[in-house]
Amino acid sequence: MSDQDLALPYAATEDGPRPEPLRAGPGVQGRDGGDPARAVPRHVACVMDGNGRWAQRRSLPRTEGHRAAETTVIDIIEAARAAGVEWLSLYAFSTENWNRPGTEVDYLMRLVRRVVRKHAPLLLARGIRCRFLGVADPRIPRELARDFDDLATLTADNRGMTLTVAFDHGGRRDIVEAARSLIRSGTPADEVTERIFADHLPFPDTPDVDLVIRTSGEQRISNFMLWQVAYAEWVFPEVLWPDFRAPDFLTCLHTYRCRDRRFGGVPPRTNGDHPS
Amino acid sequence: MTTGTTGSTGATGTTESTGEAPLFGPASQFHAFFDDPRWALAMIRATVLEAAHPQIGAALVDNSTFVAHPWRRLRNTFLSMRRMFGPDPAAREREAARLNRLHARMSGSDARGRAYDAMDRPTRAWVVATLFESAVTMCRLSGQPLDQDTMERMYAEYRAFLAALDGDAAELPEDLHDFWRYFDRVVENELENTEAARVILYRLFDHLPAPALLTGAPTLWAAGRAVVGPLLGAITVASLPEAYRRRAGLPEMPGAPTLMQGAYLTAGLARFLPKGWIDAENIIEILSLSPGSDDPRARTVTALYARMKRASALLRLLAPLGGDPEPGPAPATGTGEGRRSAEEFFRQVLDQTGDGHLDWPDLAAMARELSTRLDLDEPEETRLYDAFAAWWRELQAALDTDGDGRVSVDEYAAAVPSLAGPALIRVAEVLFDATDKDGSGTIDADEYRTLFRTAFHRDLATAGGTYGRSAFVGDFLSFMSGRRTSTPYDPLLADA
Repeated sequence: MSDQDLALPYAATEDGPRPEPLRAGPGVQGRDGGDPARAVPRHVACVMDGNGRWAQRRSLPRTEGHRAAETTVIDIIEAARAAGVEWLSLYAFSTENWNRPGTEVDYLMRLVRRVVRKHAPLLLARGIRCRFLGVADPRIPRELARDFDDLATLTADNRGMTLTVAFDHGGRRDIVEAARSLIRSGTPADEVTERIFADHLPFPDTPDVDLVIRTSGEQRISNFMLWQVAYAEWVFPEVLWPDFRAPDFLTCLHTYRCRDRRFGGVPPRTNGDHPS
Repeated sequence: MTTGTTGSTGATGTTESTGEAPLFGPASQFHAFFDDPRWALAMIRATVLEAAHPQIGAALVDNSTFVAHPWRRLRNTFLSMRRMFGPDPAAREREAARLNRLHARMSGSDARGRAYDAMDRPTRAWVVATLFESAVTMCRLSGQPLDQDTMERMYAEYRAFLAALDGDAAELPEDLHDFWRYFDRVVENELENTEAARVILYRLFDHLPAPALLTGAPTLWAAGRAVVGPLLGAITVASLPEAYRRRAGLPEMPGAPTLMQGAYLTAGLARFLPKGWIDAENIIEILSLSPGSDDPRARTVTALYARMKRASALLRLLAPLGGDPEPGPAPATGTGEGRRSAEEFFRQVLDQTGDGHLDWPDLAAMARELSTRLDLDEPEETRLYDAFAAWWRELQAALDTDGDGRVSVDEYAAAVPSLAGPALIRVAEVLFDATDKDGSGTIDADEYRTLFRTAFHRDLATAGGTYGRSAFVGDFLSFMSGRRTSTPYDPLLADA
């Protein structure tokens, strides 16, 4: 986080002349994040790390850490909405998390179900559209899956902010699924572009992630939205997720604002897309 | 609308000579009640009184689709009444001829071996009598009794209705004064606690399937039904004539009469609502719309439907978290998209009368529904029935392995693959000919809409906006034997 002051002067000039391709198409559209007009990242993702350590430091069972995370989640949703973030993604449970002890997994399932049900009316009232990325494993209790569906249905028409909860999510799995879907659709190999590929990912309307916040100081990707984080800025605050609060979130937004986003250090239009 | 009457049954239009104000049309007493919410309660009551008549009860149990497809039945009845009481004598004559043909196909015998015949004149007079009496009672119960003149006039209208059906109204007393004696006599002497009446009172409301509009919101529907079903039953029982309640051994529930009068009173208050707020035709039409259809109102309906889905989602999310094991059927992942199990198909499509067996009345009900939709005249109607009858013989020969004359779910499920025989293909062809009114060899957009009440499916439109014979037959067969869901045939034969 020492680079903020350095980066500041560049941010305003480099990306200046680009027209803002607002929601031009699904998938690969998020690169306008560095536009000076957009001081707030459009899509923020949080890897909610550190619950277990938070509990261990207090000599509590790991499950207590997950419980304490609920407050943070609600706080961050509210902070993001207030700050003008349009898309917020939370990494709640990865495909690898199934390897945790059975009791912890069971507890998480019950906890998530309670949280979903408890906050459903609030999310609806706040105009937040909720959806769940992943949720494919048969080990997910059926009631929980239905609550996910219900919450998604309930808030489907909300336009305030889109909250994507990655639950039983794996970035590679999504890419493999997209490849399968692409092959099934019979698209000739030569016609596959990034954009077309992205259309086969789950929730293709999701823009690229602009900012990933991974708490607890861990600096890994952990198979999280691999496709969408291609050009994301990452920040790694040391604070553990249960202690992470709105002011910390705003600090991260500030850090982002000071970053110089160059999308690979080449003129912005050339990376990726084949002109067609 | 065509006016050519091919009426196969007797003179039907002979009693148009009544002077003064017309007995039919928008000025009639009947029309005054048409959009009245009380009329819904009165119709239920009249239906129970009809079903309590042993002849009608037997015919209903055997032939009627009201258990499995009550909403379709309601819609058809409503449209038929509307035509019968409409201002156009030609339409009335034609509808009467159609009703007579429809009823001429219903005869048989009840569980005790007593014969019934839907063309029996005294019995038909009783149907009209219950409608009239229920309208009068509905006004009495809601605290706005009709004056003598209005009652006389209304009675004349209902007699004219019977005359339009039967040629004359001789089976109903000429004078209103004698009518009440006739009515009490039938109630006291002829009505029984029939199976059909019991089904309506105790089974129909508790198991009422959701109308097409609400099929996507089963939780909401079940929650509402759990409250409203028993209430409707109690209200209807309490409104029946005391003599019948005694004879049929119906329970006297404390508070039920008050509840019943309250319900009628409340429904009566709807008269203070602005004009046009309650329009029975619109309500029924909207209930029978499936959300996916392209009706002009479908946008509203789809919006309403989405809201309903959200409401049930919220309801489920807010429901307290018990230890709920939630038995319920597991989501059908094994069967794949767009297929349904043989049992489901049997229940939703084949068993039209909802008695758990497939027999001739089930297929006759399909033929009836199709010919009603297509507004068929003779001889097309008979041709369609004959095709269905041949299909029934084919089914019976192939599937009725235990030889009891009807096909059970198990018999059907065991033999599904062999279902598409030549007789079923013949049904598809006859249906195609009947739908292709102009005989052009293809079904155009209008003809398609008449049958399915929706526009061409998107992938059909590629073939130059028409629907050819082989495609039609193929789709029909794949619906009937392949058990594919979400075809245009679903709203036609599977919707409640």
